[in-house]
Amino acid sequence: MRVIATLPMLKRLTRYSTYAMVMSICIGISASTASPTTANVNQDLSPWQQIEAQGSNQDVYFYAWGGDPQINAYLQWVADQVDDKYNINLVHVKLSDTSEAVSRVLAEKSAHNDDQGSVDLVWINGANFATMSENSLLLKQWANKLPNFALTDPDNNPIVNFDFGVPTNGMEAPWGQASLTFYYDSLSTSKPPTTLNELATWTAQNPGRFSYPKPPDFLGMSFLKYVLVMLHERQDAQTGKDISAQLNLPATEENTALVLDPLWEFLDNFHPTLWRNGEQFVQTGAQMRRLVDDTELSLAFTFSAPEVPAAVQRYDLPQSIRSYAMSDGSLSNTHFVAIPYNASHPQAAQLVANFLMSPEAQAKKQTPSVWGDKSVLVQSTLSPAHQALFKTKQPHPSALPFDSVKRTVSEPHPSWVEAIQQGWQARYGVSP
Amino acid sequence: MSQGFDKITKKGDSPRPIMLEKKDLFTRIVSFSPKLLILILILPVLCGLICVLLPALSWLPALEKTTLNLQGFIDLWQTPGITQMAALSLATGLISTLLAFVIALMILAAFFNSVWLQRIEHLLSPILVIPHAAAAIAVGFLIAPSGMFARLISPWLTGWEMAPDGMFPHDPYGISIILGLTLKELPFLLLMALGALAQPELGKKLRQQYTVALNLGYYPITAFFKAVLPLLYPFLRLPILAVLAYASASVEMPLILGPNTPPTLAVSIIQWFNDVDLTLRIKASAGALLQLVLTAGLVAFWLGGEKAIKTIFSVSSVNGKRHYADAIWQKVTAMLTVGVIGFMLLSLSGLVLWAFAGFWRFPAMLPEQFVLLHFQSAFTQMSTPLVNTLSIGAVSTAFAVFLTLLCLEAEQLSAKPLSHFTSFIIYLPLLVPSIAFLFGLVWLQQLANYQSEFFNVAFAHLLFVLPYVFLSLASSYRRLDPRFAHVAASLGAAPIKVFFQIKLPQLFAPILIAIALGLAISFGQYLPTLLAGGGRIATITTEAVTLANGASRRTSAVYAIMQMALPLIGFIVAWMLPKYFFRSGAR
Repeated sequence: MRVIATLPMLKRLTRYSTYAMVMSICIGISASTASPTTANVNQDLSPWQQIEAQGSNQDVYFYAWGGDPQINAYLQWVADQVDDKYNINLVHVKLSDTSEAVSRVLAEKSAHNDDQGSVDLVWINGANFATMSENSLLLKQWANKLPNFALTDPDNNPIVNFDFGVPTNGMEAPWGQASLTFYYDSLSTSKPPTTLNELATWTAQNPGRFSYPKPPDFLGMSFLKYVLVMLHERQDAQTGKDISAQLNLPATEENTALVLDPLWEFLDNFHPTLWRNGEQFVQTGAQMRRLVDDTELSLAFTFSAPEVPAAVQRYDLPQSIRSYAMSDGSLSNTHFVAIPYNASHPQAAQLVANFLMSPEAQAKKQTPSVWGDKSVLVQSTLSPAHQALFKTKQPHPSALPFDSVKRTVSEPHPSWVEAIQQGWQARYGVSP
Repeated sequence: MSQGFDKITKKGDSPRPIMLEKKDLFTRIVSFSPKLLILILILPVLCGLICVLLPALSWLPALEKTTLNLQGFIDLWQTPGITQMAALSLATGLISTLLAFVIALMILAAFFNSVWLQRIEHLLSPILVIPHAAAAIAVGFLIAPSGMFARLISPWLTGWEMAPDGMFPHDPYGISIILGLTLKELPFLLLMALGALAQPELGKKLRQQYTVALNLGYYPITAFFKAVLPLLYPFLRLPILAVLAYASASVEMPLILGPNTPPTLAVSIIQWFNDVDLTLRIKASAGALLQLVLTAGLVAFWLGGEKAIKTIFSVSSVNGKRHYADAIWQKVTAMLTVGVIGFMLLSLSGLVLWAFAGFWRFPAMLPEQFVLLHFQSAFTQMSTPLVNTLSIGAVSTAFAVFLTLLCLEAEQLSAKPLSHFTSFIIYLPLLVPSIAFLFGLVWLQQLANYQSEFFNVAFAHLLFVLPYVFLSLASSYRRLDPRFAHVAASLGAAPIKVFFQIKLPQLFAPILIAIALGLAISFGQYLPTLLAGGGRIATITTEAVTLANGASRRTSAVYAIMQMALPLIGFIVAWMLPKYFFRSGAR
């Protein structure tokens, strides 16, 4: 009797084991596609040589914003270079927002994937860095040990050790510097505004011809920070108080209203003079650029000055475009690359990060026709041969004239990003 | 494409079973395949839904949150503009589906039994293979203040030297989204209806009824609505619900055409999921559940509306009235059809112009010069996405076609039509908003198999490819003349031989069409690729959406053209090949 009873069960078991076999074959196939290669470690080598030995011949998944073809092309060049140098297969994972990479690493942490992460290297700065660093999602104390890091003169050059005022602690390797650059269509407006005051007057006279990307877009936030800093400088000069110092401190419940109210007051009057009456905002700086090409906007701004002449050369902007920097100050910051704590190929990622800081790569990146991102290297640390790499040729008419950044303004504490973003969303996120 | 949707359960002349003494391996695999089909479709969707429920209830171990509470829903409720987001999703989803459905019906009614119906079908069917993102890019260019419409009338009529401060796209009422979705879904519904009419028996019956109605003095449009539609509608119900579900929860169209103060709920959910503030994922999960409720509500509303309309019109369908201003409706429909086709042609030509444009300042109607630069620079960066697109499409389609054929063969071997349950399950991934279950699915894939994005993406694509491939193949398979198989079997051919040597060659043309359709569906997937691949797998579509919201309109145009060209090549090959091979199979 017993045997008869177990028969159907056996039958079922065989069926389930078939299912299981099919499943395991599928998983087996997919698992076999990824096999990390680990080189033999020779104890006699220096730490860097060991990294070179371990990092060569690997893949590096570089998560970086992919919205600009010029930057994408530069990364393609980098990929070719590290392929030649180290036989590293650099894969640019094109993000539309860097926070996607942050979420990715978080998702992996939640799945207890602590050493096989998909992100090897990420292009990052500001709030994304602060978040990753707070949640311990980054590899520590590696960037300051890269051979090329010395070329940034870290002892005398604080910009490479602080990201929006937050110490990097060797979690980020500096990659480039940017400052807010404005550009305008000279056929539509002959005299662009050069201060925040003039900007407000200009938009009132030219309604609908200016806008800024909607927070939390990085560029839009930068514009709001520029406005905030300028408003406080003006107010402090008038009242004799020093409220702008609060901007370098973390945002708290006490100081938030005090610091941000002038911004909201300004925006309340400013928004109705903007594109679509400030009831719709562009999503990104690139979209803003396209609206300039469409002649819907006459004035726009970017954090990457050389994108403007490059866009003209690609026909993406009219020839009548001219670039300039605001005379009351240009918001400036440094951007970095970082390695997540669970990166699959951390050594290879360090090799790439070191290459990104090499004079060769930095000079290429600073070339206006390539990308034009300002180098983080300090010229005095470079050999004459390397210095020569940075000499520029005849600039494009629409490029930012040499030395036009008169005064740089540093970034407020990153905690203000969240405060501005929330306040903005509550006030302007829902149009009436 | 003409096979289209077919009723999955078919009563009546089911082929006689081929009785076998002993089941061989092939037969066993075949009879197992419907179960596998159901597993593949149900498991990911249901598990995905469950796995989005946990974080919605604040269970997110990565953020050290392991107590269940309703904070996510409270946050969601307190989001500024949440009602506007929900309303925008509901309104755009419902109105666009309704418009697409009504226009499709009007075209069918006005041109039923006329040569024009086929011509319109030929003109509109290419739209079906255009991915939503590419369609949105094309529509966006047309209606923008600096778009083709404005250029056609500027400056001679309007005096605009610079683009005006217009309203489209991104209008706060979602009109641009409705326009885009309607234009994209209209051909789908039309082709689904034509596919149903292409079934020999149903088509014959409906045409006969239509002719009888005409002979009884009914005017053509009235005859269609009274004699054809009531029988045709049941075949359209599932496709309509799929369209409704998609339209209310889609991301690409609202992202490219919609407003952002606030955007639709689905777009917000994606943004919360991707936000720097990681705790927002709890709110995002709650939002995904809200989206599920909204979509379910819309579907329920539609089904209720069906009943209401049926009750209201049950009297008028037999009241004997022969016409309802048919002549006017005929003209209106003709104008509407010309308008729709003109709109599509104009937006496509705009896309082509941008892809080759040098400087092109508003309000010039044509670019100052034509250049190949945009294609050149795009092609230098396109190889990886292209390889990904093609290989993922090939893997998911091959598997989908294979499994579908096995399931259909199972149906014939057992002489039992697939159950209602199975036919509903096939639609499941199309009916459940993908944004609601994909996040859960990705989480699962992370746990099970985080190393192979390629496999994960191909699997996610399979969920969307499978239904279409199945629907496309089912009708042809069921229409196969069973006598060939019977003769072969009686001569001693094993089922596997009958399957491969008798049935498949006869199905050569429909299989190619199904492959082309499967590839087209796979090529167009945005959300599944983005989420399952963790952004690591770039396809032409993910690149196109990334580029669409910024950068260069010219590069976007190149990518959109690539998005259209790929599936089109597939269909052209599918149409051409049968002319050279298995001529008997080509019908």
